[in-house]
Amino acid sequence: MNGSGAVAGSGATPIAPGSISFKGLVVIGLQLVLVLLALRQFQIESGAFRTLAAIAFAGWLVHALLPLDWRLPFFAVLSLASIPLVLGTQNALWLIGIGAVLIGACHLPIAVRWRSILLLALGALLIAQRSSWLPVPWSEAIWPILGSMFMFRLIVYFYDLRHDRAPVTPAHAVGYFAMLPNACFPLFPVVDFKTWRRSHYAQDAEATYQRGVDWIARGILHLVLYRYFYYHLTLTPSEVDTPADLLQYLVANFMLYLRVSGLFHLVVGMLHLYGFHLPETHNRYLLASSFTDFWRRINIYWKDFMQKIFYFPAVFKLKRFGTNTAIVLATLWVFVLTWLLHSYQWFWLRGSWLLAWHDALFWTILGVLVVINSLIEIKRGRSRSLGQQAVSWRRVAMTVAKTYGIFWFICVLWSFWTAESIGDWLGMWSALGGAWSPQVLLFPALALLVIVLGSIPQSQPGKVQVARRNQPWHWRERLATLALLVAMIGISFEPVHRHAGPEYATVVHSLRSAHLSRLDNAKLERGYYEGLMSVDRFNSQLWEVYSRKPTNWLDVENAGLKRYVGGFAQTELVPLLISSTRHGQVSTNRWGLRDQHYEQSRPEGAFRAVMLGASSVMGWGVGDDETFEALIEKRFNAQPPVQGFTRFEILNFGIPGYQPPQQLLALERALKFEPQAVLFVATGREQTRSVAYMAEAVAKDLPVPEPALQSLLQRARVSPGMDETEAQRKLTPLGNEILQIVYHRIVERSRAAGAKPVWIFLPQVREGSWQEETPETLRTAQAAGFEIINLDSVYRGHDIATLRLAEWDDHPNRFGHRLVAEMILAKLDAAPQLLFDTPARR
Amino acid sequence: MSEQDARHKIKDFIMAQFLPGEDPAELTDQTPLISGGILDSIATLQLVMFLEENYKVSFEAYEVDKDNLDTLDLIVRLLATKTRL
Repeated sequence: MNGSGAVAGSGATPIAPGSISFKGLVVIGLQLVLVLLALRQFQIESGAFRTLAAIAFAGWLVHALLPLDWRLPFFAVLSLASIPLVLGTQNALWLIGIGAVLIGACHLPIAVRWRSILLLALGALLIAQRSSWLPVPWSEAIWPILGSMFMFRLIVYFYDLRHDRAPVTPAHAVGYFAMLPNACFPLFPVVDFKTWRRSHYAQDAEATYQRGVDWIARGILHLVLYRYFYYHLTLTPSEVDTPADLLQYLVANFMLYLRVSGLFHLVVGMLHLYGFHLPETHNRYLLASSFTDFWRRINIYWKDFMQKIFYFPAVFKLKRFGTNTAIVLATLWVFVLTWLLHSYQWFWLRGSWLLAWHDALFWTILGVLVVINSLIEIKRGRSRSLGQQAVSWRRVAMTVAKTYGIFWFICVLWSFWTAESIGDWLGMWSALGGAWSPQVLLFPALALLVIVLGSIPQSQPGKVQVARRNQPWHWRERLATLALLVAMIGISFEPVHRHAGPEYATVVHSLRSAHLSRLDNAKLERGYYEGLMSVDRFNSQLWEVYSRKPTNWLDVENAGLKRYVGGFAQTELVPLLISSTRHGQVSTNRWGLRDQHYEQSRPEGAFRAVMLGASSVMGWGVGDDETFEALIEKRFNAQPPVQGFTRFEILNFGIPGYQPPQQLLALERALKFEPQAVLFVATGREQTRSVAYMAEAVAKDLPVPEPALQSLLQRARVSPGMDETEAQRKLTPLGNEILQIVYHRIVERSRAAGAKPVWIFLPQVREGSWQEETPETLRTAQAAGFEIINLDSVYRGHDIATLRLAEWDDHPNRFGHRLVAEMILAKLDAAPQLLFDTPARR
Repeated sequence: MSEQDARHKIKDFIMAQFLPGEDPAELTDQTPLISGGILDSIATLQLVMFLEENYKVSFEAYEVDKDNLDTLDLIVRLLATKTRL
């Protein structure tokens, strides 16, 4: 018999609670081997997770054979052991220690009121530490996982301790908070303590294990589908030009949620392997036919958490005003809290509060819609059935129509929520005035197909559950899971997917690895170029990278290096600054250059070059004498590359965040220093960044210095004060022309001032889509008349981790700067005429 | 009022309120109401209000869950503890 008295196995032989036949053990075990293979083939999540999954599956085998009483303690110990495995021993000890204090506070033999006050005080202390207001002796790395384990579960746990009389053992407490595989996932479903505890072997063991495998397989499928949308279909608002683009944007943006549903399926599936017959976390949320239905289907654990902790208590407090009033007010209260708790969650994971007003607007709109829907349901009732409903095409058509409408409404609302700004979102809708093509039908047709297929009546939920309990095996699900796993593993093998053609092979190849999408890479690059590190939504995978970034990590934008000076350039370095950073000393001279002191006039007999560029040239992330500019200058003076000069000077005009058009102004400043050469250091995305800056200049109505650029703006029909996204969309087709103007002007002005213009291409440490622009940029530089020093192979053969400052900061580190300096010196040794007009020293 | 009367009355309420037109024989004492999707949060609250009004009992928010209200049996059992049915 199973835990609830139902018959399992063949239906004839009663079996002890939690037991499983040898055959069942083998069948589940073999499926888990397939799951492991699928996880490996598709590189699902992190290496740590895959290791943990292998341990969890091996642990399952041991666990399934243990006496029932030992299984929960075994799960608790294994969960606890997973923490040092992922975070390292020292971090794990700190995390476990903090957790023990929090759990201990819940169990103190004092009044509930005092325990609540103590927990709030401990929470406040941790908030102060997470905000870096107070020092902490532990590593920053533990915060996201500590937050994930305790930020919501502690609330549920304490609530259940107060109201549920069932005794709580240490195994319950440890298993609930350390819960495998939480150590790998900062974003974790809010598992209800009471449900978790009650669900332990509440059903037939084999059925529970099988459901776990089914859900893990489904989770992998969600994650692979997510990758398809993430890598291949997501667009930025500025790329949305046509109605077809707009629909693609809306659908792809919403579909990124597959990552959350995929992860939650993995997590809860894994818990099933340890006997926890938990409810589903998502229920076919694309098929919601009303707003209340959507709220009930998407992230069900969250809905249940809010319902239990906030909604029901609020209704009971307010019911004296009438049931409907209480329901309306409590629903609105839940949505306000959902908004605030999302920010609270963001705080624990990222260390900053997420309080954007369009966030509030999103939750308000959704809350109001759910309230209206609830009132309609109270008045008219909701369609429910105890048995198999008769198929009525009219009913199906009505359901499809409602579901289709809700799907698109949610897509639009979701796009609003996840947009970086309201301006971005509003600007995107001008795409409706773009060219209409048959492609516009693609996503509406696909969505309709999915909804029609999903809406064809199957069985009625209540009936199904009763019926299924009496079925010995869930053969249909088991076969579906096996087929899914075999199919996924099959197509993941190169000979199989290559057989289907190069395009298909390319797509499958991309799905087989976890990496940042084109857009996230661009965002990271943007962070690299501009010091912008804003990733303020869970819809971008980049937030995970930034969740590992220490809160006190200094970035170029916030280092206090720059000051606002207005005009087209907007910023420059603060003169005479000395700052100690974790990367070494950063100091500027009286001219606001990150360099040693130089007179404005070139010394008699000296060779002088100026170097223009952004943060990498300035040397963000290395000490004063470690920039590649400083290293080259030092080497020139130690071993002069050419004859005829008493000394060599290279003046560093690098300014973080400077884009190519801004370099026109930097050049004018630099030419006052009488250089014989102008070294313009270009990096990836010269065109895109030029467009972005010109769009910013338009939006901010900055005075554009170059007449050719002014006339280009007129031609593009962009006007001062225009929305930046809209301006960017109009200027993008003219990206190369903008760059040509900038490059020609730099060459022309340099030559006029008697300086040789040299273009140095410095790649990023990370390979990425920025490389797409490089060939055209190189041609543009050559056509403009620069001497070319191409460093595109400078980082080749080196692991990115040895070159960059950190996972979230792609600036080259000391080693990176040394490589750059060595390659420039090697190229100049081989061809000194690139820089010097005088004979080489032999 | 006996436990049996209460069971009938509650069943009648559920049938009339949430399952109009359905065969009452399909609703057994063990039919899962919350986990089976028949009682959502609003319906559960309507049921609780019905019980409070008709049996002059009061519920606490933490009692409104699957453990207490998932089947007719459970509902009647909870009611019995409050009213001495």
